[in-house]
Formats: sequence, structure tokens, C-alpha cells
Amino acid sequence: MTTPAAPISRVIRFLSEGQVYLGEEPANKSDREAEVLEGDIHQGLTRTGTTRPVERNLAPLIPREILCIGLNYMKHFEEATKGQIPLPDKPTVFMKSLSSLNDPESPVWMPQLEHGQSLDYEVELAFVIGKICKNVKKEDALKYVLGYMVSNDVTSRHWQKNAGAGQWVKGKSFDTFSPMGPSLVMASAIPDPQALKVTTRVNGETRQDSNTKDMIFTVAEIIEWLSTDMTLHPGTVVMTGTPEGVAMGMDPPKWLQVGDVVECEVESLGTLRNFVTTPPL
Amino acid sequence: MTSRPISRVIRFMSKGKVYLGEEPKKGARAAEVLQGHIFGQLSKTGEVRHIDRVLSPLVPREIYCIGLNYMKHYMESAKGRGIELPEKPAVFMKSIGSLNDPESPVWMPQLEHGQSLDYEVELAFVIGKICKNVKKEDALKYVLGYMVSNDVTSRHWQKNAGAGQWVKGKSFDTFSPMGPSLVMASAIPDPQALKVTTRVNGETRQDSNTKDMIFTVAEIIEWLSTDMTLHPGTVVMTGTPEGVAAGMAVPRWLKPGDLVECEIEKLGTLRNFVMTPSHL
Repeated sequence: MTTPAAPISRVIRFLSEGQVYLGEEPANKSDREAEVLEGDIHQGLTRTGTTRPVERNLAPLIPREILCIGLNYMKHFEEATKGQIPLPDKPTVFMKSLSSLNDPESPVWMPQLEHGQSLDYEVELAFVIGKICKNVKKEDALKYVLGYMVSNDVTSRHWQKNAGAGQWVKGKSFDTFSPMGPSLVMASAIPDPQALKVTTRVNGETRQDSNTKDMIFTVAEIIEWLSTDMTLHPGTVVMTGTPEGVAMGMDPPKWLQVGDVVECEVESLGTLRNFVTTPPL
Repeated sequence: MTSRPISRVIRFMSKGKVYLGEEPKKGARAAEVLQGHIFGQLSKTGEVRHIDRVLSPLVPREIYCIGLNYMKHYMESAKGRGIELPEKPAVFMKSIGSLNDPESPVWMPQLEHGQSLDYEVELAFVIGKICKNVKKEDALKYVLGYMVSNDVTSRHWQKNAGAGQWVKGKSFDTFSPMGPSLVMASAIPDPQALKVTTRVNGETRQDSNTKDMIFTVAEIIEWLSTDMTLHPGTVVMTGTPEGVAAGMAVPRWLKPGDLVECEIEKLGTLRNFVMTPSHL
């Protein structure tokens, strides 16, 4: 039994008997009950001493918005652009639609439109802004991070490249394309976000296997750039880029197929699992 | 109490509180307060309050934008840089943090190369009902209403912020003013027949018509909703015509002190002025 003063460092959002709760992630994988937490992730959470069965894990929060950084691992930059564009000197920023938000253990829907089948995975370390900030210097940046999560920047490669004027948004914003979780790990439990192994497995086969130490721009540098002349508000989720090993980089590409299980894992944060299906009609 | 339909809605501040109201006649400084929600029922209360400040008509759930949607604007901006005419509407997004109000300052970005500041008058619409995989023949019924918007842009950062992604250069604080009112869809039977203009310090810079849009509002909804749910409160800016500063042989960028007026027939005039930000 934990003492009341034990800090809460791993938060889940879950469904139990038709209601949504915040809870502390159970310590053991086989534990299917969580201690309910009162409050909210920004104002403060307190333990209630009561537990509820975790029927379904949801994304740890509903983001205010989802910002993403592209081309942030050198070997991924090389596999993706094949020398066609210069290495960006600032983090490459784009966004994913809120409609694409998805939960752990939930289906990723294969897009049904023409050319919708070049489906790809991208394991990404994601962080959540905890305090409003602007024009932050990288030396101070990490104190604005509330916590970290695993995320998967699911992408339809054809539409990423061909949706008009080279803008990536549409190809990355289809419904179910932004799973995140399974928990939000508070920043105090992750003193160094630049020392975490990141891996993806598809049907048990390792596809991506890297480390956040290979990020071109660190979490702190990303916050410095994003917050330049632009306020970052609490609840903003930032996906920080993916390493090499995506399907697109293979010859021939091994696109995701209906029935595939995708596991994105980040050291200290856990494993985010999703499976590919056709959408309901 | 009359049951005249409410077709022009404003969101405004009065003595420190925020209200919805019916847009008054030009020059009037008080509005009848409305009760309810723009996505549900709105009813008149009979109470009139002084308008201290007009706000954006809503706080969007998120902001989508369509680029390169007027042929002459495509020619003045993208064609010369080797960008192909899109076969589908070119979709991007602007950060919610960039939301701005009518009559409010647009802040000149202070970072290096932040001075290529440009205006873009755009017809914006608001989704009123959740929808997905909509066919264009049915699309307009999902529109709640229309507003004037200005897709303010820092041209250097639009092009140079990495991998050609436009988001950063269009998402600085204050870069998405919209308003002054939300005009309900029933009052705008044909969104493809509206004059759109921009004036800077009284001088006309953009002067076109939504009939020149490459993709119509209905076609935009069809494409945006393809395999992607559109939720109520989603704002979509539908592109800008020719006449932006970037399209001039010698660009006449916006400067602190400039007054920008974006006007759309039947929707009104959205006014903002450029300033350096006060907090450094």
C-alpha cells in the first residue's frame, strides 16, 4: 500500500462502467485496477484511495492541439528525402488534426480513398506542455514540460506527399492516425528525455530501433523554436520525430496491412499497441 | 417577442464578461444578448448590453486552411517556384494560439527574418454538424455559417521553416483574426458569389470574388471529410486571391502602424493593425 505522500508519476485516463477517470497506472501489467485520481493534470492530482477496474485505456489527455516535428533523426532524414532537400536548420513543424486522436489498444483505420494504402508507422517521443510559455530559451525549456508519452505518427505516405503544395497535414490527419499513451509519465520521472530507446515492432518483427540521443533537435531546442513568437499553451502535445526504419524507407516498402499489430515502445514510458483494420461503415 | 431568425452573431465583452449577441447595425455600440449556443439553439433575451470589445465569433476547435485556391494567386506565388497546381485542395493548419479578434493588433514577429509580413483575405466557414465522407452535393448543409478571416503570414518562415511546411510561418501569435460576426449559412445561399477585398491604409491590394475559387466550399468539405471526421467548431479558411504583398515585384510588406481591412460582401469588414508586441 503506497503512502499518501508518494508522488504520482504515471497517469492514465480510462473508462470504467461508462465513466471516464484519471488514475495512477497500475504497477504490474497484470493489474487491471487503478487508483482513481481527483483533479486534473494541470491543476494538480490527488489520490482518492479508491480503485476502479480499467476497462479501456484512453489517450492520457485530449490535446489542445497536436504539433509535430518532422525529419528529426539523421538516418530517417536520409531514408525519407534521399538527398533531395537540404537538412533543415530549424525544427520542421507541422500539425495533425485533433480528429486523428486515438487510444492505446485501438484500431488504426486503413483509409479507404484511392491511394490510401501506403500506410506507415512512426514511433515518436511526445511531450505535453504544462505551463503557458513564449520565447523560451532552451536552458529553461524543460520546466515547461508536464510529462512524456509514446506516440505513433501514423501516415498515409501517398497523401503526405501528394495532397497539394507539399503540405503533409492531410496524409497524417485521417481518423485514428494519432494514437498516444498508454500513460503520461510526469517530467520529474524522466530527467533526461534524450536518453530513451525507441522501437517499433510490427507483428513482433522489429522495424525501428533507435534512441532519442539521435534526435537532431532536442526536446529543449524544439520548445525554444516552437515558442518563438508563438505562445505554447498547457495541453499542447508535441510529437518529436521518428527514427529510421519506417516502411517507406525500405526497398520495397513494407506497408502496414489490415490485421497488423503495431507496437511502439519508448524506454521508461511503455508500449503503445494498435492494430490495423478497415473502418466501420 | 418576434421570432425573426438570428442570422448575424457576435461574441463580445461587456463589463468584464463575454456574451453572444446579435450584430447591431453599423456604428451601434450595443447588442441584444443571445442565450444558448451557436451549435444548438440561440434565443434572444431582450436584454441589450454595451459592446466594450468584439471578439472572434467563436473559439475554434481547430483551424484548417486551403492554400493556392485562386488561380491568379497560384500564378503570383507558387507557380514560379515550381509548385504544381494541386489536384486536391491543399490542406494545412494554423495553431489555435494564433486566434485573434477584430480590431486587435497583429504583432510583427520579432525573430530574425520576421519582417516579411503579409495579409490574405479569406472566406472562412464553420462546421456546424459532425460529418465524414460527405459528397459535395450534400456538403453545404454541414456549414453553420461564414466569417471574414485573414491568414496573416510571415513569408520567410512559410517557405523556410523546414521541409516546406507552412505551419510555423502562419501560426505566430495574432496571425488568425476572424470576424467581426458569424453570418449563418441560411443568410448566404451562395458562398461562391461574394466579393473579397483587402485594403492597407485605405489602398486596395486584393480585389476578387469567391467565384474564382478553384475548389468551392462544397468541394473543400468533400475533400477534408474524406476518411476524416469534421467536428462542429472546426473553422476552415478557404484560400486567398491575388494581390498579396509577396506577389508584387517589389513586395510591400506590412509594417507597424499599418491598418489592414479585409472585407467580404455580406459578411462585413475585419480590421486589424500591425504593432510590435509589447512584451519582450
